Amino acid sequence: MSTVSSKKSASRKVAQSNRLTRGGRINRNKPLKFSYNGKTYEGFEGDTLASALLANGVDIIGRSFKYSRPRGIFAAGAEEPNAIMQLGATEATQIPNVRATQQELFDGLVSNSVNGWPNADTDLMSYIGKAGGKMMPPGFYYKTFMYPESMWMTYEKYIRKAAGLGRAPAEWDPDTYDKMNHHCDVLVVGAGPAGLMAALTAARAGARVIIADEQQEFGGSLLHSADTIGGLPAAEWVKGIVTELQRYEDVLLLSRATVNGYHDHNFLTIHERRTDHLTDRAPLNMSRQRMHKVRAEWVILATGAHERPLVYANNDVPGNMLASAVSTYIRRYGVVPGNKLVLMTTNDDAYQTALDWKLAGRDVVAIVDTRANPTGALIEEARKLGIRLIPGSAVIDVEGGKRVHGAVCCSIDATGSKVTSGKEVLTCDTIASSGGWSPVVHLSCHTGSRPVWNDEIIGFVPGAAKEQRLCAGAVHGVYGLGKVLEDGVNAAQQAVAALKLNQPEVELPSTFEPVKSPAMALFYVPHVKPVSRAPKQFVDLQNDVTAGGIALATREGFESIEHVKRYTAMGFGTDQGKLGNINGMAIAAMTMGKTIAETGTTIFRPNYTPVTFGAVAGRDAGHLFDVKRFTAMHKWHVEQGAEFEDVGQWKRPWYYPKAGESMHDAVNRESKAVRDSVGILDASTLGKIDIQGPGAREFLNRIYTNAWAKLDVGKCRYGLMCHEDGMVFDDGVTSCLGDNHFLMTTTTGGAAGVMEWLELWHQTEWPELEVYFTSVTDHWSTLTISGPNSRKLLAELTSDIDLDKDTFKFMDWRAGTVAGVPARVFRISFTGELSYEINVQANYGLHVWEKLFEHGAKYNLTPYGTETMHVLRAEKGFIIVGQDTDGSVTPFDLNMGWAVGKNKPFSFLGQRGMQREDCVRDNRKQLVGLKCSDSSVVLPEGAQLVDNPKHPVPVPMLGHVTSSYYSPNLGHGVAMALIKGGLSRMGDKVYAPLRDGRVIEAEICSSVFLDPKGERQNV
Amino acid sequence: MSEVAKAQVVEESSAAVSKVAVLQQRAGAGVQAESPLHHVGLDHLALNVHQRGGVALREKKLLGHLVLRGNSANASLLKGIKKVLGVELPLAPLSCSAKGTTSIQWMGPDEWLILVEGGSEYGIELALREAIDGHISLVNVSGGQTVLELSGPDARKVLQKSTPYDVHPGSFPVGKCVSTVFAKTQVLLQRTGEDSYEMVVRRSFSDYMWLWLQDASAEYGLVIKA
Repeated sequence: MSTVSSKKSASRKVAQSNRLTRGGRINRNKPLKFSYNGKTYEGFEGDTLASALLANGVDIIGRSFKYSRPRGIFAAGAEEPNAIMQLGATEATQIPNVRATQQELFDGLVSNSVNGWPNADTDLMSYIGKAGGKMMPPGFYYKTFMYPESMWMTYEKYIRKAAGLGRAPAEWDPDTYDKMNHHCDVLVVGAGPAGLMAALTAARAGARVIIADEQQEFGGSLLHSADTIGGLPAAEWVKGIVTELQRYEDVLLLSRATVNGYHDHNFLTIHERRTDHLTDRAPLNMSRQRMHKVRAEWVILATGAHERPLVYANNDVPGNMLASAVSTYIRRYGVVPGNKLVLMTTNDDAYQTALDWKLAGRDVVAIVDTRANPTGALIEEARKLGIRLIPGSAVIDVEGGKRVHGAVCCSIDATGSKVTSGKEVLTCDTIASSGGWSPVVHLSCHTGSRPVWNDEIIGFVPGAAKEQRLCAGAVHGVYGLGKVLEDGVNAAQQAVAALKLNQPEVELPSTFEPVKSPAMALFYVPHVKPVSRAPKQFVDLQNDVTAGGIALATREGFESIEHVKRYTAMGFGTDQGKLGNINGMAIAAMTMGKTIAETGTTIFRPNYTPVTFGAVAGRDAGHLFDVKRFTAMHKWHVEQGAEFEDVGQWKRPWYYPKAGESMHDAVNRESKAVRDSVGILDASTLGKIDIQGPGAREFLNRIYTNAWAKLDVGKCRYGLMCHEDGMVFDDGVTSCLGDNHFLMTTTTGGAAGVMEWLELWHQTEWPELEVYFTSVTDHWSTLTISGPNSRKLLAELTSDIDLDKDTFKFMDWRAGTVAGVPARVFRISFTGELSYEINVQANYGLHVWEKLFEHGAKYNLTPYGTETMHVLRAEKGFIIVGQDTDGSVTPFDLNMGWAVGKNKPFSFLGQRGMQREDCVRDNRKQLVGLKCSDSSVVLPEGAQLVDNPKHPVPVPMLGHVTSSYYSPNLGHGVAMALIKGGLSRMGDKVYAPLRDGRVIEAEICSSVFLDPKGERQNV
Repeated sequence: MSEVAKAQVVEESSAAVSKVAVLQQRAGAGVQAESPLHHVGLDHLALNVHQRGGVALREKKLLGHLVLRGNSANASLLKGIKKVLGVELPLAPLSCSAKGTTSIQWMGPDEWLILVEGGSEYGIELALREAIDGHISLVNVSGGQTVLELSGPDARKVLQKSTPYDVHPGSFPVGKCVSTVFAKTQVLLQRTGEDSYEMVVRRSFSDYMWLWLQDASAEYGLVIKA
């Protein structure tokens, strides 16, 4: 029975009835208040949410996923299947999917259970679970809800709500999350005995070491161990090692940091929770969580092992727990999660739990050992303490609903395959079980290495390494403290040797190794009824998978373990099969009459435990989500109230609305200003490539479709660029600056691609051509003035450029000074008007821009954006690559055969492609103009075109509208379209049937709507 | 004089100069040049805002930037560089050479970045063209990029947040330079001292860099230097 002191303590405080007065790594002088499901409780500094809940005697922490059965805390670490919490004091700080066993307690913590409506204690859904257990076998969702298929989405919504594992916050997360890159010689995963020794050895050798552990303190199992190391209590020994590790400059110690993913090339991701243990919101200037991206030369997995629970009837009733978890709560947190314990075990290790329970002053009803003749040091100790031992037996069933009331105990045969005697009911409130240990092979699996069954340790161990990976300790089946410490040293020594570092001196500390008897391999505790008839025997508590369900799956023909997993959902989701998988595979093997090795295992995937989206996103969120590229004049555009358009990563002025203007108004005003007087466009975003070398001209000949041999210095030429298939992928004007010197311009979005394209062809195909390319996109600001008054305006700002129309002609360029700044001025036009593109070094871009406005007022100089640019070029039928082309359009399809050189001595890219049979047929889609019969109508871009809208479905399709705008200069809509055989169908009527039922009639015409002779740009 | 004419003059001055147009791009007095981070007002922040922290940022603005491309097997290239700039052309990958305000950083087997005092780039380009025979390319990119200096005891941590490159002293000794990913942009990164680094940043990406660096430095404190 309980000791007097603990009873007194309980009655005095009312709360924390399960808390011991002494012991554990908690600070009783630092009480912390927290809330769970709306009620306030108290715990201590050093508690997890789980240990604090257990201290307060909270039995039910949620309802199960499928059957809605009450569930309690089952484990003490990452493997916890039930205590999945929703945290957060405010809507914005909600975090779903937090394991109470991993959440440190802080003052003001607010937690809620995620399953259970209206609440975890009285769950309406459980009536279905209880009454309808047989109604929801595995595959239920597939069998019942899939038909009719159209209803699946509806069903799913309610199933998700009823099941659910928490919810995302509905408000913007106020905290920040970030990332950090690391490189190291050795990454040690896990800071238990093996990991610490490995890190120490590698550190002493002078290696760059990172050691990460998911818990707040290093030590792993040693934090609740009764062992001594080198004559010190285990936890004291840990302190010494950590102190030494902290002294090395090149050793990084990461606690509260879970190595969640093990990716290719020894790249691992570590999820560090930096402030989750402090407050609801992270302190100022501190990221809440950090994702460490580690590139490791060697990885040493020292992830230990999880205890395997036993599978027996009603093993999910609150009060059923893992044996080692019970020890952890007692020894580390000073919490005894009950009063009367029944321990069921297949091995010696779990006896420690009964000893701990007894020493805490509470009642051990019995140890039920499945082995007939257990002997060993711990067993003797239990006997000495007068604990009742029931060998050759098992707890086959549990009495109780919301808490264990009794354990149904029967004797079993030597192989554990059947019950051999009548039952005895042991009155108790807690049943701890241990089926041995399952190495935590998850990370090894992430690399594609399949675990291998090991009969000797009764567990799967990591398969052959796919990376430079080593294992230390329990993760590959090395048990016993002394051996584990030695194994850590060995693993590190292997890495040290491979790294060609000197082996350091490491002494192995002394340990006490109790004599143990062999464990029994038992994965399923028999019931008096067969598997299919027995009460629910849970294998995977999180996904509500039972032994009966697995047996059913194999009966229905799912024989591959991967199929069994998917049919039953075993090991799904955030749980990743930490507790249940091995038992489940063993049960599948048993029902199919195979060995476990033959059955194999499924593979665990990243992440090991759930990672918040915030940590995945890092700082690539909000204003840093993506790069915003600005020109030198950006500040001016902002001050003028421009609306911006994204063009690639660039922010380009879209239009400049004046007060009260709509976009339509602004674009009409800007468009007219250009044609009537003069407008200005910031064209700095156009890609610009400086090309130098004696081979430059020939290179251009090959990369462009047209000829460049005769372009004189001082001249500019428009060119089309095609891929090998003959399809247009970029266009622009290239100017001859010197005989061996050209300046190429590209589209804004295509700049980087063109640069790569040039380098690719130069480096791989034509290295004999002496030519170099250098990007000067950012170097030059390009200010385009366009309109009949642009010459007059420019004349006011330059004295050394002769602007006479006959000496500085269309498609010429000149160098000189504009507004006191050296400039190259190109007389080229994308509007069809008299235009000058002024290039100055970007450091002077804004200066020249502002000077132009100082002089431009009298000409009504109007800034125009990309929308007006589009309207003006469409009036002229100028194409935009990527809008009027889509990678399936040749120059001839664009009616731009004039830009294809037919007499070039060397072939050019795309020449053969555009001569393919399919590229020369008559009815290819060709770019034409469209004029609506009703001049007030503007066709929607993307509208499909047909000859006869009354044609029965399917209607033969002619093509689609690629560009369409209202032209304020013409007073009607102008559109371009790709239409089958369009160039030979001038004057034909086509129809655009729209979604809203309207059918728009339009006439095929030339795509040049304004100034067809091109006179305006030649004035 | 039109630039076409200028190019011809240059060409006439030496048969070695290739047929390229070299433009003096600096404006005369009275025209203020604005560096890529001009709009941020770093000088104002440096002088008027009290700051404390483990990371310091300074824009080394308006320097002369020339991109050189050429064949390192061309002896005239090595000789010409040495003669005009007084430093060797760095041939070892990821290395640089520097003397006074002049430095050359290796960017690729046939590509280097030459940084010189602002305003001297035009004369240097002409002199280099004069001194080097054979096929090279020299491009003035002074308006297209800027140099940011990051220093202080926590500067390395800011780099670790930003680039996957291994910036540990063992892998990134003083004097090494690499072109690498930096957040969502790219930089030419050089370790210039025990605790100091220089990054060459493209103009259009500089505002993003400024925002990123402020954010990444926040937990250590950021000091702006003039």
